Amino acid sequence: MVLIRDDVVRPKAVLDLWPLRKELAFIKREGGWVKIGALATIEEICSSFLVRDCRYAGFSDMCSHFATPYIRSLATIGGNIGAAHPLSDATILLLTLDSEVKLVSIRGERWVKLDKLFLGERKLAKDSSELIAEVRFKEVPENSSTALLKFDRRWGHSMGYVVVAVYAQIKDNVVREVRIAFDSIGRPFPERAKKTEKFLRGRGLSEDVIEWACTEVLPKEMKRISDYRASAEYRLELSKVLLRRALLRIKSRIRGG
Amino acid sequence: MSNSLSEDRYPYIKVKLSVNGRDYEVSVRPYERLIDVLRYKLGLTSVKEGCGRGECGACVVIMDGKLVPSCLVLAVRANNKKILTLEGLAPEGKLHAIQKAFLDVMSVQCGYCLPGVILATKWLLDKNPSPTDQEIKEVLGGQLCRCGSYLRFVKAVKLAVKYLKEGKVYFDIQELMSPP
Repeated sequence: MVLIRDDVVRPKAVLDLWPLRKELAFIKREGGWVKIGALATIEEICSSFLVRDCRYAGFSDMCSHFATPYIRSLATIGGNIGAAHPLSDATILLLTLDSEVKLVSIRGERWVKLDKLFLGERKLAKDSSELIAEVRFKEVPENSSTALLKFDRRWGHSMGYVVVAVYAQIKDNVVREVRIAFDSIGRPFPERAKKTEKFLRGRGLSEDVIEWACTEVLPKEMKRISDYRASAEYRLELSKVLLRRALLRIKSRIRGG
Repeated sequence: MSNSLSEDRYPYIKVKLSVNGRDYEVSVRPYERLIDVLRYKLGLTSVKEGCGRGECGACVVIMDGKLVPSCLVLAVRANNKKILTLEGLAPEGKLHAIQKAFLDVMSVQCGYCLPGVILATKWLLDKNPSPTDQEIKEVLGGQLCRCGSYLRFVKAVKLAVKYLKEGKVYFDIQELMSPP
């Protein structure tokens, strides 16, 4: 709508998907999966079972910092994914949950891993005739939790200089599984920090390990950009700090249950 | 928005709106935004267009109990919905407690953002009658004020809470205007 108003794009027709909300606005658990309809709004996620479950506490982190209340009532999870923008908070969190996206067209439907969906800024590995219908992820085991951290100077409309989301399963103080996603690792869309994940997997989450992961491993795979909002150096430094905080937050969340 | 599109290709659609307790049936083009219909078809000019892209919060209205930016909602999507704008906050000749509170703390400078701020406050107080400072700031964080009256907004919301708790919902404008 904004692009049309500004006369940046002149589409021949625009299709309002809102009437499909009758079918596509669900947030439910089913057969070991958590399924979210593409037209579920951020506000609906913020009042769903997800924010009350310690394992999915990342959603509760997301809710308090997602744009503004009046945007949360309109913004949908499908739109957040479809925007393919580095600062799509919900998408970053869903990446850490190893989510899959259902694409539907008249030819049928197919599931695509969320981390295979992005090709570039606002570019998706999907045909223009395909519609994002649903996103789902497997229920995570006990002893695991999620966290999302975002840094900006303000609350309302905070886009975040850096956004990081982490999922981890920690048992007997050893990291069984970990997935880390940033707003950007080097390319202009949200991605996983796979080298840092690999380093952390199987290790005890001690202060030294966290320190090493943040200051030595992460910078090797991350390339940040400078723009009018923040410099690359500042963004990289923030990424390290936020990753450390996110790991510590998850640790205490798992311990707290 | 409309001038780049051929008018005839997009016929009018009838939309039923219930605005401030009154029912309307308006003919709109499919691409018309709610803000344009409210302002130019119904004459409700309290709905201000600031940025036109959902960033400033000047155009928010309460639609079916939800705070929405009317510049990002197509009029057709508002079909059969109940909409509240600033005009509908208090009956003719009265001021709502929130409006009174915003006047009392003299938070009005240019006033352009106020309809949005007051509606956001109304929406907040409807679901949370005694918000903390933090909760007030979180909600009003989406309302940009060019004059920078933000601190007074927080003061005003707290005063409005006090009025509402005392049961004072409406104030008579005549009484407020006449000297004591």
